[in-house]
Amino acid sequence: MKKQIMSLVLASAMAVSLTACGGGSKDAGTTTTTAAAAPAETTTAAAPADGGSEEAKEPAGDGGSLVYWSMWEATEPQGQAIQAAVDKFVEDTGIAVDLQFKGRTGIREGLQPALDAGTNIDLFDEDIDRVNTTWGQYLMDLEDLAKAADYEATANAGLIAACREVGGGSLKSIPYQPNVFAFFYNQAIFDEAGVTSVPTTWAELDEACAKIKEAGYTPITCDDAYITCMFGYHMSRLVGEPKTEEIVKGGQWDDPAVIATAEAYADFASKGYFSETIASNVWPAGQNQELAMGTAAMYLNGSWLPNEVKDMAGDDFVWGCFSYPAVDGGTDGVDAANYGAQVLAINKDSQNAENAFKLICYITQGEFDKMLSELSIGIPADSNNTEWPALISCVKPVMDSMTTRYPWAAGAEANADMTPIIKENFLKLCGGSVDAQGFVDALKKAGN
Amino acid sequence: MKRNKGMIILFLAPAVLIFSIIFLYPIIRTIIMSFFRIDGITDPVAKWQFTGLDNFVKLANTSLFRISMWNLLRIWLFGGLIVMSLALLFAVIITSGIRFKSFFRAVIYLPNIVSAVALATMWLQYVYSPKFGLLKTVFSNLGLTSLAKVQWLDNDHKFAALLLAYCFGMVGYHMLIFASGIERISADYFEAATLDGANKFNQFRYITLPLLKGVFKTNITMWSVTSVGFFVWSQLFSTVTADTQTITPMVYMYMQIFGAGNSITERNSGLGAAIGVLLSICVVAIFWVCNHLLKDDDLEF
Repeated sequence: MKKQIMSLVLASAMAVSLTACGGGSKDAGTTTTTAAAAPAETTTAAAPADGGSEEAKEPAGDGGSLVYWSMWEATEPQGQAIQAAVDKFVEDTGIAVDLQFKGRTGIREGLQPALDAGTNIDLFDEDIDRVNTTWGQYLMDLEDLAKAADYEATANAGLIAACREVGGGSLKSIPYQPNVFAFFYNQAIFDEAGVTSVPTTWAELDEACAKIKEAGYTPITCDDAYITCMFGYHMSRLVGEPKTEEIVKGGQWDDPAVIATAEAYADFASKGYFSETIASNVWPAGQNQELAMGTAAMYLNGSWLPNEVKDMAGDDFVWGCFSYPAVDGGTDGVDAANYGAQVLAINKDSQNAENAFKLICYITQGEFDKMLSELSIGIPADSNNTEWPALISCVKPVMDSMTTRYPWAAGAEANADMTPIIKENFLKLCGGSVDAQGFVDALKKAGN
Repeated sequence: MKRNKGMIILFLAPAVLIFSIIFLYPIIRTIIMSFFRIDGITDPVAKWQFTGLDNFVKLANTSLFRISMWNLLRIWLFGGLIVMSLALLFAVIITSGIRFKSFFRAVIYLPNIVSAVALATMWLQYVYSPKFGLLKTVFSNLGLTSLAKVQWLDNDHKFAALLLAYCFGMVGYHMLIFASGIERISADYFEAATLDGANKFNQFRYITLPLLKGVFKTNITMWSVTSVGFFVWSQLFSTVTADTQTITPMVYMYMQIFGAGNSITERNSGLGAAIGVLLSICVVAIFWVCNHLLKDDDLEF
């Protein structure tokens, strides 16, 4: 009897442990996919009844249907526009699309393992550099498809060129939602301070800052998330981006450009051009509480900024934009900046490349490119969509003037081991708690 | 007996098999990975390059990784002291027969059910704000102008700011564990002690504390495990790029496996695996020390 009870207990214990294990594994599985696909809205849209061909209703993954992993959330303006484009595509072509909104971290963490595991994904999107560099080995060459569709007739030539450049010479991705990284400013403050033209040199920026400070405003603010960009841009203006990257990666902190950059910023700090709280601004404090609220005039950021702060800045906020100024004796001028886009790419193993490219055309051209631009207050990718949203119309001349493309932060963040150290000390430099030499010494001490 | 053995094997096999696939295999794979250079986390083994102990040597020589380990130690030690003492204090108060016990317990536990994102936003954009922050207002009203001017999120104060915000959310959880430990102790002991003339403090010192040894061990182990996995709060306190005051080994590991910030940086999953191995060793060491220092098997109650 005792044995029987014992074996019963043991058996149930095992059963429980088995369920626990099974449950655990299942949970783990869902976490990966749901973390990946936060509000994973899987839309296997089927064609409407009248055009309803049989294959349109087949589940995604076989035959003519497409699987599309997107970096956006379904609720974001970009997600909404893409959803609308996909719906129209399905309606017009009868091809089913399994559209999965993975979110930023979801796609960053999940796409490569999924592709390695052979998951059927026809197309995906992310930042131009990540797609072409990190995921370069999974991309299909799109030259022929683009030529067949005469895609370049209405595409932004500069961005297509950028895609070819990062794609190793051939077109492996199609840009949409372009952006450019530059100084954004509050036109009202510029007007009040009597700054009539945008600064194109460091000396002119100095002059403008002096006037703005005189008028009682903070000339420049920033947040911790973007502060290294100022360092990178200044360095790249001085010695070019490739050299900046070399210095950052190789730890060549004795290079004269480093101390020159530090001195330029120490000078601005000593003149009180930076926000008093710049050393403690954790994103989005600077952009929300200072720039959008009208107490600070300028912020070096991407063209997504007006959209991010539009609710705080109000309808009457007039935006201005200018490229990072040139510096004395520097190699790069105002025609260089980090400009790029999100890009769509097709999996090299896709069986439906032609349909996938057709869907790309739906998203990046005409009506839905316009919708994407309007909803997200972003730059249109289709050159026929000449009307930019009013909030960012100031960006057009800057975007059009670009000839040299920097990577993110103009190379300042090329060495992950140094980024936090550059960030800490550049914040201190702008906040005035270390001087130029102290900045350089701290980088040298970190020894990477 | 023989038949029983067969039954045992039959019943155990699925669990053991699943355990091996889900737990043992990843552990062994991670240990092996730590000796290789691997670009993408799912790269085929053919692409792995054997580098011996290079990953560990590189970690030891990277100042940012050393900073992250130092931060982790500070979070574990100082955070542990703060959280454990507050949790114990609240647990004692709550189990002492006060009125509205459930209400207070719920209030102290509340931060645990609020999303970390919401909590961190509250701390970052409101409490610590140098413009209209809670701390600034409170200190200004108290006339402490020098304290009111402190920028809580600059490099000198950011770690303390992070630790305070994190501990605020953690006290309730550990308090519950302590409280359940205290409630397990029979009221007879306290009654007898009261009759013998022991005051509240002595009862706590000589009855509650010794009988809570096992609970302490649980709490310290749980705290160590969550500290080692410190990630979300660090990310929330330094969005996009990591920060020297908030970076932890997990954040560093993430940077190595998935790339840092918006830049395309070098990736090495082998290095990430090496960090995982080091962190596991830390947890095992802490657990071993705890087991040896806090022996609770000498008391039965």
